[in-house]
Order: sequence, then structure tokens, then C-alpha cells
Amino acid sequence: MKKTILILLALVMTASLLCPAAFAADKTFVMGIDPEYPPFSYMGDDGEYTGFDVEVCKAVCDYLGWKFEVFGVNWDEKLVQLDSMECDCVWSGMTILDSMKEAGYVISAPYYDNTQVLVVKADSGFKSSKDLAGKIVAVQLGTSGESLLNGDLVDMAKTFDSVLTCDSFLKCFTELQGGAVDAVFVDMPVAASYVAKHDGLAIIDEQLGAEQYGIAFRSGDAELCKAVDDAVQALVANGTYAKIAEKEEYADIVNNLLFLNEDAEAPAAETPAA
Amino acid sequence: MAEINNSTGPAPSILSIRSLQKSFDSVSVLRDISLSVERGNVVSIIGPSGSGKSTLLRCASFLEHADGGDILYDGEYALHNGVYANKAELARFRTRFGLVFQNFQLFPHYSVLRNVSEAPILHGENKDEVYARALELLKKMGLEGREKAYPYQLSGGQQQRVAIARALCMRPEILFFDEPTSALDPELTGEVLKVIRQLAEEKMTMVVVTHEMPFAKAVSNRVIFMADGVIVEQGDPKEVFDNPREERTRQFLRVFER
Amino acid sequence: MSLMTMIVKMSEGLGKTCAIFFLTLLFSLPLGMIVALLRMSKVKLVSAVTRFFITVLRGTPLMLQLLAVTYGPYYLFGATVARNKLIPVVIAFSINYAAYFAEIYRGGIESIPVGQYEAAEVLGYTRVQTFMRIILPQVIKRIMPSVTNEVVTLVKDTSMAFTVSYQEMFTIGKQIANSQTSFTPFVVAGAFYYIFNVIVDYVMGRIEKRLDYYR
Repeated sequence: MKKTILILLALVMTASLLCPAAFAADKTFVMGIDPEYPPFSYMGDDGEYTGFDVEVCKAVCDYLGWKFEVFGVNWDEKLVQLDSMECDCVWSGMTILDSMKEAGYVISAPYYDNTQVLVVKADSGFKSSKDLAGKIVAVQLGTSGESLLNGDLVDMAKTFDSVLTCDSFLKCFTELQGGAVDAVFVDMPVAASYVAKHDGLAIIDEQLGAEQYGIAFRSGDAELCKAVDDAVQALVANGTYAKIAEKEEYADIVNNLLFLNEDAEAPAAETPAA
Repeated sequence: MAEINNSTGPAPSILSIRSLQKSFDSVSVLRDISLSVERGNVVSIIGPSGSGKSTLLRCASFLEHADGGDILYDGEYALHNGVYANKAELARFRTRFGLVFQNFQLFPHYSVLRNVSEAPILHGENKDEVYARALELLKKMGLEGREKAYPYQLSGGQQQRVAIARALCMRPEILFFDEPTSALDPELTGEVLKVIRQLAEEKMTMVVVTHEMPFAKAVSNRVIFMADGVIVEQGDPKEVFDNPREERTRQFLRVFER
Repeated sequence: MSLMTMIVKMSEGLGKTCAIFFLTLLFSLPLGMIVALLRMSKVKLVSAVTRFFITVLRGTPLMLQLLAVTYGPYYLFGATVARNKLIPVVIAFSINYAAYFAEIYRGGIESIPVGQYEAAEVLGYTRVQTFMRIILPQVIKRIMPSVTNEVVTLVKDTSMAFTVSYQEMFTIGKQIANSQTSFTPFVVAGAFYYIFNVIVDYVMGRIEKRLDYYR
């Protein structure tokens, strides 16, 4: 307990050192969200905006002593609205695009990984998605993987013999281990943690439908971005972040939260296909 | 009482029972029962309920497993000192007798004709011959034209007459009746008793367990009175009914005098 | 996606739904009779073991049994998971329904009066003849309403094959519902099951009627 408090103190002090009085104590932080993007940001049953991103942002404001406000953006116009100072950031399950960085926006550290990978048996010899032509691939019902195979990656899906849709990722992997399918198309963090725990499986070193979520700030707001990034890390360290992520309504996304799954992601990143 | 001849005599009894024993869970139901039935005779068995008369018939037709004694058909052992003959032999013995149940036990999903004729056909007899015989028997039972009916369409008395025809179609040497009129409305007993009487006149060998005292008196050659698992008294119907020797018999018959 | 496309897509799975339905009946109806006879065996051990299996099959969810049959061999013996899911699905369904049918048969057989057996025995019917000719036809008539109930339930239970990813009608419906975020496929599925059961009801009604010639 004492240790935690010490760490917290240290973090607070570091934070205050890094952003010396740059922001007034009563600063109002306006969060730009897509109000129809559950579970990251949406209107709750009580009519108040909620969602994972909203809760984290609220915690960040509490942590920094800022006044918290939500602004619902028109998603197509979000960056225009950010530029016109209608909000201080866009933080709403937003995919980080290279075009944003090129346009000068300041982007936070990615916090959510939506990358899909193919998991195969280690001894199968499959090295890329092309090797799976004419093979059977399992995917979990209702996941990004499933929508990708029916959408952006439909051309790849067409080369497969068939796609087997299972209602849980455990079944997908059992089908693979039991030899009924040749590969599983699944979220990177899920793949990494499963492969780490089970022998004889490998992840094909090919990021499919790779995308990560981050927070966008105006081009001059690097300090603001840093303050928010640091505050988020502080919340990760003190457990507040995990406490929010543990909520039942976020069960679908918790595995892909990068700050909570760093252990699992590390080995996968270092040793892709075995 | 007739002598029991098993191998030496020229004409052994159709059915001989000696020292038959039967108990249900230590309750002795038949104790040392001996009797024999001669060809062409009608034997009536009377007695209070629980006296063991139905059990006796059921042992004779192998529906109950006797614990001891002998059962002989035509001098051949079906049961010898409490040991039964083998399956095939018992099957052969079964063709010698027929049994008519209190509750008819017709097969409800079969027509009258099929009820009567199926068993002999299954035994390998010629179909047409069996059908002819069955129709003749039904006619004799007063059921002409009802051969296509199903049991539920018949009255109790008609059903029992079909059951008698069914037993007769097997051409048994001896016919057992287990209270054949007890399940019938009083007005229907007459038609069944009439059929049995007619069979008696034709010298059909029969053993009838019954509560119909006038019928037993009029039709039987011999009456057996049973009580508590033993034969209390037996003999000529006139003697047993009009001049019983045993007090137990008198007691029983007094109930029927009124 | 238009309603028509949904219906066409889901109809493609209807063939597999029918396959589960008919194959399950084909195997479970006779298997149930064998189980019922084992259950009524005079050998205590046989009837006790059979009884145990019946209680397990009736006392655990069909969904678990589907998982056990499909993935159990892999987890227990490292056996290959079947690529054609119809095989484990039909095995699991047949075993499960055999347990239910067995109890229905047993009830039916035990409801036939002993006198019917005795009458047949005295007339010299063999044990097999007695059962096939005298007892079974009466049992069938008596159990028809309960069997109809189970058959109707089976139609609806086929949807459980989704749990092992067998692409029958309901599984496809779920996939469409998920990708289209629409509730319509479930309404279509409901309509399909309803029509299926109307047909089942009609057929079973006809069979019951044909057995109405006696009481």
C-alpha cells in the first residue's frame, strides 16, 4: 500500500515537473466523441454520455483536476471541428491514420489494437495468408475479424476453401488444434495470449486489417497530449484504468487494450511465425 | 378320485397334478394340491377369493412358476419334483391346453378374425384352413359376421366369446377358464355360460374356476372346493352342493343359498 | 441486405437443418428402443448402468453434450476434430434423443397390461413375436402424443448445432444478424421453424389418425 502511494506521489511530481503550470488548475477539457460508437463512446441509459473512452477521459480530468466536458462531433467532420476549437481532442475509438500525422495533428500513444492475425499450427509450414488458399479458416462470430472477412478482406477470404464461424475464440482454437481447420483469424492480443499458453501454435507474421486507436489533438497541442498520455499511464499504474476496463460492458474490448496486455503482446511482436 | 397312471395304464389323465406347492414371498398359496382331469370331463373349482384356485390354473398353464410337485399332461412330466421341462418341451405342452382369462385379454389392435387365427398361423398351419376353422368357431359362438370388428366394438360377453374361440382355434385337448364371467355385467354372463355348456355337451375337457354355483352344479362332472391353498372337498357336484361333508364347504355354500 | 437475400441465404442452411432433423430421428427412434429394453433388463447391472446414462443425458444440457461429442475426443485423446460437423452433431442429437425416447417407450411398454403378455404366451407366441406383434403396436399408439412433442422440440433444438459451428439455418441467421446488426434474420428463423413444425404437426396428426382404428 505504502509503495503504491509512493509511486503515485512520484508520478504526480514527475507530471507536475514536466508540465510546469502550463495548464490552469481550473482548465476545462472538452472531449470530442462520436456519441454512437459503443462501447467506446455512446449515450447511456440515463441519457449521459458514457463508454470506455469517456470514463477514462473523465478519470484523467479528475486526476489532473480539470473540469470535464463532452462534445459530440459529427464523425465525418471531426478534425474540422477540432481545428475550430469546438473540442480539445477527438477521443472516441478513433483509428490512427498516417494521413492525420501528415496533416500535423498530434496523436497520443496508441491504446487499442485492432490488428488481426492468422494463427496456424507451428508445424504446418504456412508462412503467409497466401499459403492458406483452399484451406479452412475459423473466425469468431461478431468480431472485427469476421467483419473484415466479409468486408475489406473479402478477397483474401475468397481464396479460402471456407470460413468456419464459431461462437467463441476458444472453439476456434480447438478446431485448429483438433485439425478441423487450418488457421484462426483473430485479434492480435487474443492470438498472442493464446499462443503463449499453448504449445505448437504460431502466428503468421502478417498484419491484416492492422489498425490502432489513439487520441487526436490540434497541431500545437503536443504538451496537452503529453499531459493526457502521462495521466493515462498514471491511471494504468494506480489500477484505475484496469478497474474501468474490467466492467462487463467492456468485455469485448478488454483483450485489445494495449496498456493492459503488454505482456501478452511482447512475445508475439518479437517472435512472429515460429 | 381317479388313479394316477403315468406309464403303465392305457389311458392316462389329460392333466394330473401332484403335491403342487406355490408360495408368494413366504405366503403359501398352494399347499400340496393333487388332482387329475379325465378326458371329456368338466371340473369346476369353487372357493372363496384368495383360496388359490386361480393360482392353480395359472400354475397348470405355466403362467406361475410352481415351487414343488408334479404337473403331467397325458402322463408326460411338464414339472417333475419342482423341476420344469426344457423350453421346447414346455412350448409343446402349451399346445395341449388353452386358457380363457377373466378380462378376456383380446388383442385390441387386431380384428376378431385375426385375434382368433393368428396364433395357429404362426405355428405354421395353413392360412386358409385356419381362417375356415376360425369362421366356423365364431359362428358357433354366435358371432357370425363380426369377424372384421375390433374388440372395442363388441360387448363384454361378445369379447369373452371371441376369447373362447381364440383358445379353441388352437385345438387344445383341455381348456381352462379363469372366472370367465366375473368381469361381465350380470345380463351378459348367460351368453358365455351357454357357450361353455355347449362345449361340455360336445365333451370338451374343461377346468372352470367360477363363482357361478348353479352353473357348476349343472355342468360339471366333478366339483373341487378350495380354501386357503388346499383342496377341502371334491366329488360329484350333487354331493358337494347338496350334502357337503366338510364344515368349511357348508360355510362357503351358505353364502350362495340366498 | 434485402429480406429476399436473407431468406435465400438462410434457406441454404435449411438443408442442413433438415439433415440434422431426419438423421436424428432415423437413429434415435430405434436406438431409444434398445436403450429402453436395456433399461428394463432383468440383469440389475445392465439396467442400473443404462439408467445412469439416461439420467446423465437427460440431466445435462444438449449443448454441453454437443461440445463433448465434438471436442471431447480431442481433449481426451488428442483425436482429430471432425471437419464435417454433421457427424458429431447427429451423434450427439441421436444419443440425447434416444435417452428421451427410451423413457417414453418404457412408459408405454409398462402401461401394457401383463395379461397381454400372458395371453400371447399361452397361445404359444415366442417372446419376439409377442413383443413385435402384440406389445409394440399398442405401445406405438399410446406414445404417439409424447413422441410428437419430442419431434416438435427436435425441430427447435436443431438450432443448437450453432454451438459447434455447424452452418445450419440458425447459425447463418446469427451471422447475418451480427454483420447486418439486424433482428430480421431471427424473425425469418422463427418463421422457418414455425412452418417446419406446422408440417411436422400435420404429418404426426396423420399418423395418429391412422392408428385410430382401434381403442
